[in-house]
Amino acid sequence: MSLKQFIFYIFLLFASTPVWAGDGEYAVFRIPAELLKNANAVKRIETISFEVVNTGEAILKKKYAITVLNEKGDGQAIFVAYYDKQHEIKNIEGALFDAFGKELKRLKNKQIIDVTGNDDASLIDDNRRKFHGFFYKVYPYTVEYEVEEKYNGTLFFPVWVPRDDELLSVEQSKLIVKAPLSYIVRAKEFNFLGKKEELVEKSTKSILWEVKNIPALQTEFAMPSWLDFNTAVMLGPSNFEVEKYEGNMKDWNEFAKFINILKQGRDVLPANIKQTVHDLVDPIADKREKIIKLYQYLQKNTRYISIQLGIGGWQPFDANYVATKAYGDCKALTNYMYSLLKEAGISSCYTLVNAGKRARKVVPDFPAQQFNHVILCVPLQNDTMWLECTNQTLPAGYLGDFTCDRYALAINETGGKLVRTPYYGVKENLQVRNVTAVLDSEADLFVKSKATYGGLQQDQYHDLINSMSKDKVKEALHEELDFATYDIARFNYKENKSTLPFIEEELDILVRRYATITGKRLFIVPNVLTRTYRKLPTDSARKFDMDLTFAYKDVDTVEITLPEGYTAESMPQEVAITGKFGNFKCAVKLNGNKLYYYRSLEHFSGRFPAASYPELVQFYEKIYKADRSKVVLVKNETTKGF
Amino acid sequence: MKKRILFFFSLAMLCLPVLAQDKLKIKFGDITEKDLTPKAYAIDSSAEAVILADIGTSEIIGNNKGWFSLRFKRFRRIHILNKNAFDVANVSIEYYKDMEDEEKLDKLKAVTYNLENGKVVETKLDIKNNVFTDKVSKTGGYKKFTLPNVKEGSIIEYEYTIESDFLQYLRPWVFQGNYPRLWSEYNLALPDFLGYVFLTQGYRKYDINQRKQRTEIYRVVDSRGTGSSEFYNLTSGVSDYHWVMNNVAALKEENFTTSIDNHIAKIEFQLSELREPLRPQKIMGTWPSLTERFLKNEMFGLQLGKENNWLKDDVKPLIEGVATAKEKAKRIFNYVRDNFTCTDHSDLYMGQNMRSLMKAKNGTVAEINLLLTAMLRYADIQADPVILSTRTNGYSYAIYPIRSQYNYVICRVMFGEEKYFLDASEPRMGFGKLPISCYNGHARVINSEAVAEELVADDNPEKKSTMAFLSVNEKGNIIGSITQTPGYYQSYSIRNLIKEKGKEKFAEEISKIIGSDYKVSNVRIDSLNAYEELLGIYYDFDLENEAEDIIYFNPMLGEAQKENPFKAAERLYPVEMPYTMDETFTLQMEVPTGYEVDELPQSMVVKLNEQGEGVFEYRVSKSGNNISFRTKVKIDRAFFMPEEYEMLREFFNLIVSKQAEQIVFKKKK
Repeated sequence: MSLKQFIFYIFLLFASTPVWAGDGEYAVFRIPAELLKNANAVKRIETISFEVVNTGEAILKKKYAITVLNEKGDGQAIFVAYYDKQHEIKNIEGALFDAFGKELKRLKNKQIIDVTGNDDASLIDDNRRKFHGFFYKVYPYTVEYEVEEKYNGTLFFPVWVPRDDELLSVEQSKLIVKAPLSYIVRAKEFNFLGKKEELVEKSTKSILWEVKNIPALQTEFAMPSWLDFNTAVMLGPSNFEVEKYEGNMKDWNEFAKFINILKQGRDVLPANIKQTVHDLVDPIADKREKIIKLYQYLQKNTRYISIQLGIGGWQPFDANYVATKAYGDCKALTNYMYSLLKEAGISSCYTLVNAGKRARKVVPDFPAQQFNHVILCVPLQNDTMWLECTNQTLPAGYLGDFTCDRYALAINETGGKLVRTPYYGVKENLQVRNVTAVLDSEADLFVKSKATYGGLQQDQYHDLINSMSKDKVKEALHEELDFATYDIARFNYKENKSTLPFIEEELDILVRRYATITGKRLFIVPNVLTRTYRKLPTDSARKFDMDLTFAYKDVDTVEITLPEGYTAESMPQEVAITGKFGNFKCAVKLNGNKLYYYRSLEHFSGRFPAASYPELVQFYEKIYKADRSKVVLVKNETTKGF
Repeated sequence: MKKRILFFFSLAMLCLPVLAQDKLKIKFGDITEKDLTPKAYAIDSSAEAVILADIGTSEIIGNNKGWFSLRFKRFRRIHILNKNAFDVANVSIEYYKDMEDEEKLDKLKAVTYNLENGKVVETKLDIKNNVFTDKVSKTGGYKKFTLPNVKEGSIIEYEYTIESDFLQYLRPWVFQGNYPRLWSEYNLALPDFLGYVFLTQGYRKYDINQRKQRTEIYRVVDSRGTGSSEFYNLTSGVSDYHWVMNNVAALKEENFTTSIDNHIAKIEFQLSELREPLRPQKIMGTWPSLTERFLKNEMFGLQLGKENNWLKDDVKPLIEGVATAKEKAKRIFNYVRDNFTCTDHSDLYMGQNMRSLMKAKNGTVAEINLLLTAMLRYADIQADPVILSTRTNGYSYAIYPIRSQYNYVICRVMFGEEKYFLDASEPRMGFGKLPISCYNGHARVINSEAVAEELVADDNPEKKSTMAFLSVNEKGNIIGSITQTPGYYQSYSIRNLIKEKGKEKFAEEISKIIGSDYKVSNVRIDSLNAYEELLGIYYDFDLENEAEDIIYFNPMLGEAQKENPFKAAERLYPVEMPYTMDETFTLQMEVPTGYEVDELPQSMVVKLNEQGEGVFEYRVSKSGNNISFRTKVKIDRAFFMPEEYEMLREFFNLIVSKQAEQIVFKKKK
């Protein structure tokens, strides 16, 4: 029992005595014991009521109380609300209670801090943020907040996730949605086992979902996505309005039609650009080559600038805007590329996607505005070409991990449908490295490395060489490699910009005192440049499945020329592992004064059951150890016997 | 530290030879094909953009509110050579406001020039629809725009004027930054009736530093009254200052830096006084006059000067029955630290009165430490607030009392001659300890004497010691125990780690450090809640040797310096470490049963430099069946000039390689 739990047990003991009879509803002793386990905070009550007034307007009322049990839960006590032109905050109320549920303080309006929500990613947008905190420090304490928001547009409906963080338990939470009888509110439940009620009144219909007593959980390495194992309800509109544009969300096709309306007539290019398009592509016969040519033209002549004001958050600036200003956001640039292709007689699809390396996954069977980015999809005879229009350096047809391997909504002239973006696996994400090195008698190692990085493994090098000047690349390389002290003598990168791009790298490095030479021995790690860092904790019993998303393969060969006069004293054993997570092999041998090392690692992706976690720990552990194992050599004793 | 600050000042006073060309012949819009042709510039062939000209002018003008305004004009011409520098085309112009006045952006003009088919093509910014206002807070925000049609090879130009009623915000000028500048010029026309102090810093001299005198008539209109406007004409001498740096290299942030802002070449101004024919008034006074203003300020010192009997209920229970003043101070300090949350670590004034602060239990660093001061005084302890500028906020000047340079308040207590600095705003900071960010040189005690204090990293030793004992158990396994006392700041961060992630996480960290060959057990931590003490860390471990013929054993047990902290090949400005360093590691061990020592690393002692300001020792010896090992790294300075960088880097290189050496045991035949 930890000290903290002990304190709560004391609370519980006292709780049964009549002294405390007058305590408030948020008194800590009322929290069921199982909700205190693993929890830094407990959501005591929560009521989210969402009322659709009409197709263009809705009211959200939210009231919740959170008891913070210790310092680590303080973040849960901060109130934040975002607003913009379509979402007004009508009212905020808040109060602070002590452990016995006695009210200590009420929020005063002037204490609410109102700041711009504009981040560095945008030049300007109309997001703003209000926040407030009581910043209390006597634990446990409870905060209660109540907020009312008016939605002047109905593209977004709330998502209810009662337990929305780790180490947070939930005593009670409910969602109520109310709408006119004639209005269909769509809903999708996830892992819902609570109470559900429907209530029909004269002109409205309500649905209520309620859950009680959800214990806290601890997140683990490579968790599956949150909705896979948490109770949640997603709400979505049927008919909706955004700044006088109307749409329907009953299926993806309908939503696609709405996006289509927003961009209608925005593909008109000025005459000079039309001419440029023809000058560029008319001499080319191959469709693929035409696309590449125009994509490169786009990359060379535009840049990404984000301006998100009002409907501009949804509607692209037209092609003429981009043509004259030579900038735009993802919508504007994608629409521009679409227009260039159209002029060349090539049809393409403006495609919505939820971008980000570990972005929330789009729920495919629940049409809703689940996207934050736009890319372009160009269907060809046998395959599809994908274009990221906000990037000036990506190879045509290649998407990095920002948008690969996920659902996306491709918009065509009549509607649209969900499609998958490309997946890059073991075969594509291949790294091959060949090291030849010479160790001198000072233990300094002169390394010549030649490597090829493919697929997602080339992304970081792509960024490195495209976002920095040569001097800066050198500086970055100086920070990055896993040697104590070293100098980069020479480096060179060559990019092969194809649909499946790869980068060739040449590095000459002087590693100071790479090996350890003592009086008569020499210690050296033969794995010079490809060492893994992953290590997982072993002790805890794994609860959740593992979602490993990145599959790749590394192959290394190393040849090190050693100073003369040493023989092997201890050589690492050959390691060979095959298993469900991947395959690993490494071997080292000494031939005269040449040390040869071979290593190959295949790492698979996929969903793996929790029970196989110890095997994964072992897999990483063995690789970690093998990557650092040393060869020990001993000096030949030259003069002997005299 | 002292030496460095003097060095900064000496620059401002140097008179430098005048260049042949003292004005740049440049006109907005005057761009030819020749200007657009260069792909790179000699000053920095890898520069992604080069600022061809950056020219600013500030002058004082009479306004129609019966007073004076500032007029600041800026012109910039930038050659964008690479897409990675497109961000220079996104322009943010800061503006200030208060309840009555707001600075006005005026006469904005911005044009992009591209070379198309050998001809210069202009694209103008459409001002009407493309200048946005980002209202950050009540005191101002940014005007933002981006230039159209920017490509690799574009030249962009923009100019604007800002009119401001805030005479205290005379615009500073930065001569150096992310991109190299071919010509950076600032002109200031200052009438004799306004006095400003000039603050200059950096390692770069002016190429032109001129001052000319003339006379001007200032016309002031007062149209605020109900009747007709009143006019005044005021004749005054004017100084025209003209500062230029040309061919200024880029400067970027590196590790071990307080703040890049402390190193770039810049000039700032502080309004110091109003002179004849205005009614003379000291704006910037002396330190005693500034501290007096602090003491009289309702939001600072006024509440400290009172009796504050309302504190009785809070203070009395804390000090009842406590004998010494120091112990009382500790009780009060601990109470404030443990019960108040700091909501803002950069603040100089109270935003609420002390009584409501006491109730709210949260406040800014200024509020918390002023309350601490008040409580200490209530207990009859000699306590005074101290203002300082944190490391990221930049250096403060001991000789000029400039309020705006300070962003942090701590408390100084005296017990006779014994002196302690306190900061109750950090949850686990001990009595008499300060966060590293406070060690930034000059700090000022706010009392009638207005004493200066120096808080320097050189006086901040981080002393760590580790002792290991190893023996062999009956099964022939190596077993051992470690006793470790980390330095104060490491103790502090371990306390934070344990508080945030739990003790198990810390035990995990230990296992990681010592390596997976060892099984760690019995982790024990002393003084975890005695925040002013160093932690005591104890644990046992054992190593299952698999009866190998040879055992390779690194006596550092994972505590070796594994990386050189100075990775970059060169350094352009000083290294400012947070503290000095003193680490000792000792080990006593038995030779494993059945083995003999085949090889011991050689002992060595190396000095950092001739003055012996640092030393590295590595000593290992064998006596009978016992091995003694001791290594020590000690560096007595925290501040190093760029020319000393290579020395530091080599020193650590040696430490890393020596501490990687192993003892070799061989099975007896």
